[in-house]
Amino acid sequence: MTLINLSGIHSETYRELTDGDLPAAGESVLVPLSQLQDNGAAIFELTSSVGVIVDTETAYSDLEEFVGQVSFVDIRFPVFGDGRGFSLAVRLRKDFGFKGEIRASGHVLPDQALFLLRAGFDSVDAAEERREAFEAALKRFGAFYQTDMIGHGKSVAHLRHSASGNDTTTKEAG
Amino acid sequence: MYAYDTFDRNIIDARVAEFRDQVERRMKGELTEEEFRPLRLMNGLYLQLHAYMLRVAVPYGTMSSKQMHRLADIATKYDKGYGHFTTRQNIQYNWPKLVETPDILTELAEVEMHAHQTSGNCIRNTTTDQFAGATRDEVEDPRPYAELIRQWSTFHPEFSFLPRKFKIAITGAGQDRAAVKWHDIGLILRKNDAGETGFEVIVGGGMGRTPVIGKTIREFLPEADLLSYLEAILRVYNEQGRRDNKYKARIKILVEALGAEEYARLTEAEWQKIKDQHIDVPAEEVARIKAFFTPPPLPVLSDDVPAVDEFANQNFIFKTWLDNNTNPHKVLGHVNVTISLKPHDGIPGDATDEQMHLVADLAEKYSQSEIRVSHEQNLILPHVAKQDLVEIWKILDANGLGSANVGLLTDMIVCPGMDYCALANARSIPIGQAIADRFDDIRRLQDIGPLKLKISGCINSCGHHHAGHIGILGVDRRGEENYQISLGGSGAEDATKAALLGPGFDEHGIVDAVEKVVAVYLGEREEGEEFLATYRRIGAAPFKEAVYDAD
Ligand code: HEM
Ligand code: SF4
Repeated sequence: MTLINLSGIHSETYRELTDGDLPAAGESVLVPLSQLQDNGAAIFELTSSVGVIVDTETAYSDLEEFVGQVSFVDIRFPVFGDGRGFSLAVRLRKDFGFKGEIRASGHVLPDQALFLLRAGFDSVDAAEERREAFEAALKRFGAFYQTDMIGHGKSVAHLRHSASGNDTTTKEAG
Repeated sequence: MYAYDTFDRNIIDARVAEFRDQVERRMKGELTEEEFRPLRLMNGLYLQLHAYMLRVAVPYGTMSSKQMHRLADIATKYDKGYGHFTTRQNIQYNWPKLVETPDILTELAEVEMHAHQTSGNCIRNTTTDQFAGATRDEVEDPRPYAELIRQWSTFHPEFSFLPRKFKIAITGAGQDRAAVKWHDIGLILRKNDAGETGFEVIVGGGMGRTPVIGKTIREFLPEADLLSYLEAILRVYNEQGRRDNKYKARIKILVEALGAEEYARLTEAEWQKIKDQHIDVPAEEVARIKAFFTPPPLPVLSDDVPAVDEFANQNFIFKTWLDNNTNPHKVLGHVNVTISLKPHDGIPGDATDEQMHLVADLAEKYSQSEIRVSHEQNLILPHVAKQDLVEIWKILDANGLGSANVGLLTDMIVCPGMDYCALANARSIPIGQAIADRFDDIRRLQDIGPLKLKISGCINSCGHHHAGHIGILGVDRRGEENYQISLGGSGAEDATKAALLGPGFDEHGIVDAVEKVVAVYLGEREEGEEFLATYRRIGAAPFKEAVYDAD
């Protein structure tokens, strides 16, 4: 599997901690949410470079206590049609103002690249043979009918009126 | 009518290119059928019994003559010379080839039409009143809001992979012709005491195997907040809607499980967080869209046109057509004309390429080049001067489009059933035709009066049988087609769920059963009382007795 960058933010590989394992000092690690809930304090003491793995069933409220501490969130899609992963990313951006990296892994399709990006994802962990298709899909559309979930990017509705000085997109998306 | 600007144009062109690429990748084997399926579905392409089926959107049921001509051309070029207008104000082609569908989409895009989100687990084409903007009993034209929703929901990054399909309907009239309470979200335009425009918001309606009438979660939502409020409703559904069982994945199940009050509370809490973000569009954008829907410049004429009355007095069929197929227009001296796609020997909702061209020509000449599709599978000329009615009727009548049966028993909604649909348990079209044969006398139909009969070929309820005054559902009973009858449903403002009368019948028995039901009504009705009112007054028992006990 390979990392495909959607948003241009720096995207790196993390070692996935298996059960009970602890990171080396300063190491970048990836931890399932349940382990963070059990053992978070010890992990954060050793490193500040922690990513959390969540599944699409996760209630976004369970992430609240960690968003200030983790540097990235890996949302695992069991099937590409599981839209809960999209709402989770939106929640992270909108409700918690999360600025770190959000990664989609598991089953996602190249044709979803723009949907992922615009819902707040930065990277995808996918098969190398699909890199080209992902990259092509990212260039597919130049404008959108919705503002995106990261709080920048203007919707067509806003672009239509920004020339006349009536732009309202300066409002922060929070 | 809404006209595309360069933004809309670029988006639709990019979409066609994307689909062309997806089809090519599928042909080359780079996409598995399992992966291609949702992609093609999001472009309205189904795999049916005999062939692919392409469902083309007619957003909120409004189109121009030019667009209708193009639909006809596509029927000629890529299908067998006809199309099928559906209860969701779309048109379906039953015989396109996979490799040709990108070309069809290109031809559609040239006239600003598409097949976006006519299928798949996303927000579907928003439907509305077929007389929107033209009818006398209207608070406000709902179509600008439907267009707003169309744009906002198109390729929505968060709501394109919902637990199930999601349908929104909106009406601005006192009389509900859009069945808003039978939708995942129903919106009714209202004015508050201060004269401001807003919406009553209804959630959790739907048909299928669990028919539910939607519940109001907000009496008045200011118009400026529409999109952010929809976003809140959908986020709650996307997160909490069931995904383990597709029959339980609809919002109606979630609303029932949580209770409408709790759903309202969750929506309101979510909305409070997001309502000040720029989800809702600037007021200038709403004004821009509304400007496309300014009423056409019709001259105010007299509602009394003696020449038409005179002709009606001499011609019973024309008089019946006038009574049933016209609806009062906002502007005096005008009407909305409904062209029935329910000729007695035809397939309800089908139109040939020639008929489509004819309707487009008529609209050009008599109706501001505008045409509507109704959820009852008919076509409408929305702005006709009364003085032109005789001429129009003569042309329609000469071309097999003169049925005067709008609103009557043979103006049925009928799903494609086993003739086309891969999910069907039974045929629907032949049952509709057999009933139409039995009731082929327009005088008798007129005497029976307003009666909505709706037929579905399986529990999915595409034919709205739950909302039929008389509903017929085809089921499979040990390999035999069996037809159940239910009574008392309504898709209007007084929405009710039809109740099953008793055991089902074979294809002949069901026609007899309908006839017996009608006979009970004729015997029991009070002066001026319509079928549904009689049923509600006397209940199911007399009907049950006549259908099951009498010989
Ligand atoms: C021939 C291909 C078709 C297929 C495969 C199909 C499939 C389905 C399915 C699976 C449902 C179940 C929805 C649910 O319970 O969640 C459904 C419902 C529905 N379909 Fe179709 N359908 C087809 C044609 C049509 C046509 C021709 C119409 C219009 C005449 C239509 C309009 C509807 C409507 C209005 C519903 C009810 C939606 C609700 O639950 O509120 N469908 N369809
Ligand atoms: S009701 Fe059933 S048979 Fe009829 S079109 Fe829908 S899915 Fe097919």
